[in-house]
Amino acid sequence: MMSGQKNISFDALVVGGGIAGGETALNLANNGFKVLLIEKELSIGGKMILLSKVFPTLDCAACITTPKVSEISRHTDITIFTGSEVSKITKTGVNSFEAIVVKKPRFVVVEDCTGCQLCEQACPVSVRDQYQFDLVGRKAAFIPFSIASPKAAAIDIENCVLCGACEKACPTNCIDFTQEIEEYLVKIKTVVLATGFKLFDPLMIPRYGFGLYKNVITSMQMERELAPTRPFNTVLRPGDGKVPDKIAYVLCTGSRDASVGNPICSQICCMYSIKQAQLLMGTLPMADVTIYYINIRSFGKGFEEFYQQAKGMGVNFVKGKIGKISEKENENLMLRYEDINEGIVKEAEHDMVILSVGVLPNQDAAKLFKTEELKLDTYKFISQSDALESPSKTSIEGVFVAGTASGPMDIPDSILSAGAASSEAMSYLIRNK
Amino acid sequence: MKKKIGVYICHCGGNISDYVDVEKVRQAVEDEGGVLLAKTTMFACSDSNQKDMVDDIKNYNLDGVVVASCSPKLHLTTFRNVSERAGLNKYNYVHANIREQASWAHSDDKTGATEKAIHLVKAAIAKDRFAESLESNVINAQKAVAVIGGGIAGLKAAMALSDMDCPVYIIERDHKVGGRVAQWGALFTTNETGKDLIARLHKELISSENVIIFTGAEVIENKGSIGDFMLKVKIAPLGEILDVNVGSVLMATGFDFYTPEDGEFGYNLINNVVTLPDFKEMIEQGGDKLMFKGKEVRNIAYIYCVGSRQTEGENTYCSRYCCTSTIHTALLAKKKYKGIYNYHFTRGVRTYGKQEALYAESSQQGDIYLQSFEDALPEVAKHGDKTIVKINDILSGGRELEVEADLVVLVTGMVPRADNSVGTLFKLPKGRDKFFNEIHMKLRPVETVIDGVTICGTCQGPKNIMESVNSALSAATKSFSYVSKGVLETEPIVALVDSALCTWCNACSEACPFDAISMAPEGFGSIAVINNSVCKGCGMCAPVCPTDAINLITYSNREIEGMIDVLANG
Repeated sequence: MMSGQKNISFDALVVGGGIAGGETALNLANNGFKVLLIEKELSIGGKMILLSKVFPTLDCAACITTPKVSEISRHTDITIFTGSEVSKITKTGVNSFEAIVVKKPRFVVVEDCTGCQLCEQACPVSVRDQYQFDLVGRKAAFIPFSIASPKAAAIDIENCVLCGACEKACPTNCIDFTQEIEEYLVKIKTVVLATGFKLFDPLMIPRYGFGLYKNVITSMQMERELAPTRPFNTVLRPGDGKVPDKIAYVLCTGSRDASVGNPICSQICCMYSIKQAQLLMGTLPMADVTIYYINIRSFGKGFEEFYQQAKGMGVNFVKGKIGKISEKENENLMLRYEDINEGIVKEAEHDMVILSVGVLPNQDAAKLFKTEELKLDTYKFISQSDALESPSKTSIEGVFVAGTASGPMDIPDSILSAGAASSEAMSYLIRNK
Repeated sequence: MKKKIGVYICHCGGNISDYVDVEKVRQAVEDEGGVLLAKTTMFACSDSNQKDMVDDIKNYNLDGVVVASCSPKLHLTTFRNVSERAGLNKYNYVHANIREQASWAHSDDKTGATEKAIHLVKAAIAKDRFAESLESNVINAQKAVAVIGGGIAGLKAAMALSDMDCPVYIIERDHKVGGRVAQWGALFTTNETGKDLIARLHKELISSENVIIFTGAEVIENKGSIGDFMLKVKIAPLGEILDVNVGSVLMATGFDFYTPEDGEFGYNLINNVVTLPDFKEMIEQGGDKLMFKGKEVRNIAYIYCVGSRQTEGENTYCSRYCCTSTIHTALLAKKKYKGIYNYHFTRGVRTYGKQEALYAESSQQGDIYLQSFEDALPEVAKHGDKTIVKINDILSGGRELEVEADLVVLVTGMVPRADNSVGTLFKLPKGRDKFFNEIHMKLRPVETVIDGVTICGTCQGPKNIMESVNSALSAATKSFSYVSKGVLETEPIVALVDSALCTWCNACSEACPFDAISMAPEGFGSIAVINNSVCKGCGMCAPVCPTDAINLITYSNREIEGMIDVLANG
């Protein structure tokens, strides 16, 4: 199913609509350049829009992301394709690239959808909700999440049983099963890669029991439990719905660990764990929170003070790497670890364990280039060809990198990296006018 | 007076609604005079709610809008823009802060928080009744940027601006550009030398027609404001003074190294205690043997976090670059000289991100890492002619260990510039760490509250080179956007002088923190005049005026009195 290829042209192609890609698109558009922003998910906003609050200021993530997202989506010089992927980029000259963009059908006419959610209520199919990191279910006809942009329904065609209930329920007739894949040939002058990162999958470390023990969850799942748009409206352990009162964080899950193929530090986990611990102390004042760490890396502006604040609030910091987690009959968890300060092996019981999962490269971008080589570094992040003088330059002239696509970084650093990529892309556009 | 005000009360997820009964607030204000509709919303700032507001303004022909949500610092502009998009002049919008001022401040008292929120929203409505449509001031923007500081951040920002066809003046106090980086040898993590990196950048800069570099130069006067800064630059050694006129100023004034106090880990008391920058220079300058005061150096003890993460001193922050820099330098020493043993006295190594690879390499090379307890830092002492560093080491189970060191390197962190005269000149605010402060770390990370002045690099806080360059390029993007169009819009919220009442007593001019008020002849006497592009609308002048001749636009007496009435009487 494919209609004919459409030709469109822009000044810049930004691949990835997370916080770095969005910031880059805005910077370029605010200086008069026309931008095509491609996002593979159904909403822009990336991982940040799904977070609870952000360190070290404890601003709510939505409060910062939603207005940015709104500004991006309203900007007359930014065109956004969600649910879309770039399949190929070819360099055709000094300041000319051609990209093939594939827009997958949403089966909903976004402009007509009012976000009323009647289709969700009508849909008989329940599947796990990827935007709540599998904590709860959603329907096959669904609005991705309440602050999504665009806030419009989509049909998950993989799981849809084609019963037609949503079509009947829709008051604006915006559901359209005849939509097909659209392919675009996009001519652009520069490309910014803001393809972000992937989270480490803790199934890779079987001794932590993720997937086996219900009360071992990832930090991203806890992030959802703490977010304003949280699935349960409180913090609870998924095993039995009990409110936890002895919570453990396992730092460096999948980071600084050559045995899982990721020897480097993920740069964000210490801080987001400390932040979650602070939020948990607020939400569950009676709960004990323990953070098991190798080194606490609170290096940024205001970070060390934030760490000291957590200590002052009573968060318990234990220097020690967790060896093994096992489950008791009451679904509590036993953590076996070396207490490095005391130099002995200990065991501790917790009723919920959060694995602070690390940052892995998203290697999708490398496959886009067929005629040129987009170099990756040792760890498979996009290689910075001149890391100190021009951190956003890649191995291909005219292709720039923004945010975590080039390595782990936190939100402030991602935004500054996006500022740098914007600057380099603008210089390139102006120089080769 | 307005008759069709729309009021929106935000849950802010649960940030507000967990403590403030937003529905009760809505009910309490829906019958206020002038209110046509009152609604609650989960996230007022979300795209979907913004669309709903636009529809309401159009459908109901609203003549005023109030949103009760978070701090106006976050979203005043957001909602003004919503009004504007719906065709309602944005100055008919009034913001009520019921998060920072009600829900967060009174999370222990839900009833009280709700009561207070009701008062705040009613006050905003009272103010909105008299709000007037206003037009932004449009001013010309000089298409040129002054970059203050010619280190790596300043040079890179200048290069970026030049590439965007924007004239740039680099103003460097030293007699040559390049800053700290130009003094350094191999850098982490590329191993290019600092000299080469700066030389590369300098070569590009001098070949650009857009860049003028002043060295031995200092800004001694700053007049004007965004779009039209008029700087006086004094050039050494002749003391010649130049006028520089730019639309934006980019600050890249860098940092000072922390200087240990006498006796701090033996500094200035024990003769073989040096700082990390001293040690870097030794490695650079040294011959085939690493010598210090006539003695060959083999055992080196590095004491981390000197002047950073202080539990007692002022510098509570982490200086961010030093762990990696020390490990990198120690590796260089080992590669360059035979028989070097490195002992790292750390407080937990912070080689974040890919820098971790250097730490791993160093461990493989046999460098010894020790870590002190937070309440028992290492001690440096002289035993006869030997220098002994002693630690209670966490990593070996709390054992007391001693290292006899030929050289003790104090890993000194970054501190703000001791000479802050240029910051004072531009009235730049500083954070708790005394570095220059941005408006918002995530939303506006290189902008300052002084319109038109951006900050980058280490004058904003500790950063490594890559991070400094990223922030420099971000600041260049921002400064460019101020000047690129040739015109700028500024807030019309400024002080207004009633010339009939003003007697020029000078009180307002003395109260003005922005030098926006000057004397001008009027009839037979003189009156105060306001420079609209410099006035920030802070209101310092209005209360000191003995004849009540100054009013602040949008804060007129009837607006303020209306608010006071509601706040006092409920």
